[in-house]
Amino acid sequence: MTASGPLKVLRALAMPALLVLAWWAVSGSTFYLPSPAAVARAFAETWLSERLVDDVLPSAGRLLAGYALAGLLGVGLGVPIGLSRRLRATLEPVLEFFRAVPPPVLVPLIMLLAGIDTPMKVLVIVSGCVWPVLLNTVEGVRALDGVLADTCRMYGVRGVARLRRFVLPGAAPQIMAGLRQALSIGIILMVISEMFASSSGLGFTIVLFQRQFQIAEMWSGILLLGLLGLVLSLLFRRVERWVLAWYYGSGAARA
Amino acid sequence: MLEISELHKVYVSPGRRVEAIGSVTLSVGAGELVCVVGPSGCGKTTLLRCVAGLLPASGGEVRVNGVPVTGPPPRMAVVFQEYGRSLFPWMTVRQNVELPLKEKRVPAARRRELVAGSLESVGLSDAAGAHPWQLSGGMQQRVAIARAVAYEPEVLLMDEPFAAVDAQTRADLEDLILRLWRDSRITTLFVTHDIDEAVYLGQRVVVLSSSPTTVMEDLKIDLPAGRDQLTTRSLPRFGELRGHVYRQIQRARGHGADR
Repeated sequence: MTASGPLKVLRALAMPALLVLAWWAVSGSTFYLPSPAAVARAFAETWLSERLVDDVLPSAGRLLAGYALAGLLGVGLGVPIGLSRRLRATLEPVLEFFRAVPPPVLVPLIMLLAGIDTPMKVLVIVSGCVWPVLLNTVEGVRALDGVLADTCRMYGVRGVARLRRFVLPGAAPQIMAGLRQALSIGIILMVISEMFASSSGLGFTIVLFQRQFQIAEMWSGILLLGLLGLVLSLLFRRVERWVLAWYYGSGAARA
Repeated sequence: MLEISELHKVYVSPGRRVEAIGSVTLSVGAGELVCVVGPSGCGKTTLLRCVAGLLPASGGEVRVNGVPVTGPPPRMAVVFQEYGRSLFPWMTVRQNVELPLKEKRVPAARRRELVAGSLESVGLSDAAGAHPWQLSGGMQQRVAIARAVAYEPEVLLMDEPFAAVDAQTRADLEDLILRLWRDSRITTLFVTHDIDEAVYLGQRVVVLSSSPTTVMEDLKIDLPAGRDQLTTRSLPRFGELRGHVYRQIQRARGHGADR
């Protein structure tokens, strides 16, 4: 299944093109479904303007801040929990509970605690993103290879070196899986946090358009969110390929 | 050099108590290569892990140079059976060999020297930049051996290191071990289930009983020192020793089955 360059591009674009065509066919039947052309025009007018700086960038910034914080927190807590059987036995039921709580319901609570500004939104993102990272890190660290652990003990690899050379790389495939899940959760929470009480951001703007019956603009916002998610996940895949080059190379990923 | 006296190991889990090692006493002199052979499931690996300080013994003790072993001793190296799992897949061959030296705070210049020397001695100088998973099984085990040699241990433990490689590779690796041992005279304890391998490599062969393990026989191998796959293995004496050890192991097995 090796396709040459142009053929590959054609194949990748075929489905989106088909979808746009289908959209075209059904659009106009109702006021709420404008044609692709109208949405495209609205897209250019709405987002290629100061809104990019006023709404898109703050949203993306909060997403990245919350995501990074959740990543640090998840890995930072997950490693000690994964390494200690006692910590795991104590904490795991609680962690599973917190993970099961849908993060959006925390928004009102976090609003009470952290106000309605940027800290609240970042906190909402952290509160949702941290769980997949944390639980996957715990699992990855717990499942580290016993023979490699013995090797570390025999050759005096301990402390920080053990963490850097053995624990973190060994758990990296799982940690990356957690981070991938967290990324999509982060985008959802970014939008939700902005829908509650906000004066800027993508979520806020989309709700605003909907209330003002600017239907084409609303659709263009949804389109932008989809594109944002796509770009982030492509970027993530790049980073993952680079971090886990050994993992994909060794064929462990296929096993 | 390495003294194991009345070593005893019991695995205790709720509602179950398994006596893995009854009582094992044996010693390996400085510069000696001793092979330990026994029927399958006789606690060879348990014994080795106790000697390495990876597993606490239930009784008796292990001493290296007179110092009791309570954890992995600083100048001991192990080559594990599972070569595929004892090398760090995210590191290159060179990094794998170098890591223990870094932890030992060996100066960089000396480190380079040791890594290059040990990789050359196992014939892998060209593979220094490769990752372990790009190499064949036999080559991976060579890397593990190079790592052990570069560490400059006083005692080298080998836990069925060639059990998982094909016969030809195994013969090559056996000769590699003999050559390295002859050059360095590292005190070596070589655990195997392969009788031929034990007789071919060892200056002495210690035969273990089945579990709970005791030493059945401590046999001196009076074969000429310069060993060779072809001539040594076709010596009549080789056949006699091999047959003798084989009978002992059969006895051990029968003994175990009676219990």
